[in-house]
Amino acid sequence: MKDLLRIKSLISSDIEILLNQQVKKEAQSSSIYLAMASWCNRNGYDFSSEYFFKQAEEERHHQLKFYKYILDMGGNAVSPEVTGIKQEYNSFREVFEDALDQEISVTNSIKNIYAKCLKEQDFVTMEFLNWFLKEQREEEYKARRALELFEVIGEEGTGRWQIDKHVGQIKYDSEA
Amino acid sequence: MTTTNELSLWTDVFSTKTGAVYQCDTERCWYVDFAGKVARFDHRCLMKLRKAVYAIDIEQKLLNTTTDPDVEIIFICACDHCYVLSLAQIINLKELLEGSFVMLELNHIIHDRIYSNPL
Repeated sequence: MKDLLRIKSLISSDIEILLNQQVKKEAQSSSIYLAMASWCNRNGYDFSSEYFFKQAEEERHHQLKFYKYILDMGGNAVSPEVTGIKQEYNSFREVFEDALDQEISVTNSIKNIYAKCLKEQDFVTMEFLNWFLKEQREEEYKARRALELFEVIGEEGTGRWQIDKHVGQIKYDSEA
Repeated sequence: MTTTNELSLWTDVFSTKTGAVYQCDTERCWYVDFAGKVARFDHRCLMKLRKAVYAIDIEQKLLNTTTDPDVEIIFICACDHCYVLSLAQIINLKELLEGSFVMLELNHIIHDRIYSNPL
């Protein structure tokens, strides 16, 4: 008896479900960053707003990467429903705290898929995920660095204005 | 109607007292013999059937005390077949599909371990 399931798709149905969940997670991330960009813009933090617009674009790019991979491997990519996005924040700092939480949760989620691939010996998907693992180093670094600015600059006086100015300059260019 | 010759090309995947699933390698599809008919499913439709059947909350239906008819219509988009099933039949179909997918998974493991690895 031919292995028809394998003929039709390179990835198992379990991996396909996990990748589709990741598509949704990336779409949610993108929407969350858009909401953050809006909040920052409304409250006068223009550099941070620009930073979050860029982050939203990046997350959308990640979403499409997963989406196309599922389709290319013969799976069924599901366009996700994104609801319940937080629109209001209590403080400038809370925005960046949430951003870091979001990135940590994305890293964990990719690690879970990687662990499942390892169990199934799906080396093809593991190789695909390597790019995302490296990307998460940058994403987490940037989110952590932004929060660090609150510590080193401080929020008193013109602190928040300074922080906003520096957020736009955060870069990760490690060759490691 | 299927002839004996065509039937001989079918491989048993899994069967229960109430139904059976066969695989046809030449047509690259499956035949589901259930609820008095034999229906042909390609890969895409079989996945949709599985999703539709697994999504039914049997426990909720058992606990439901309203006077609604105890019938579920399983309609799959872009597929020729439709099932109108009672609760007992849904349980039977779920059992049949679960068993079939375990067997297909087993077949995949066998292919993976034996045929792909000459060692």
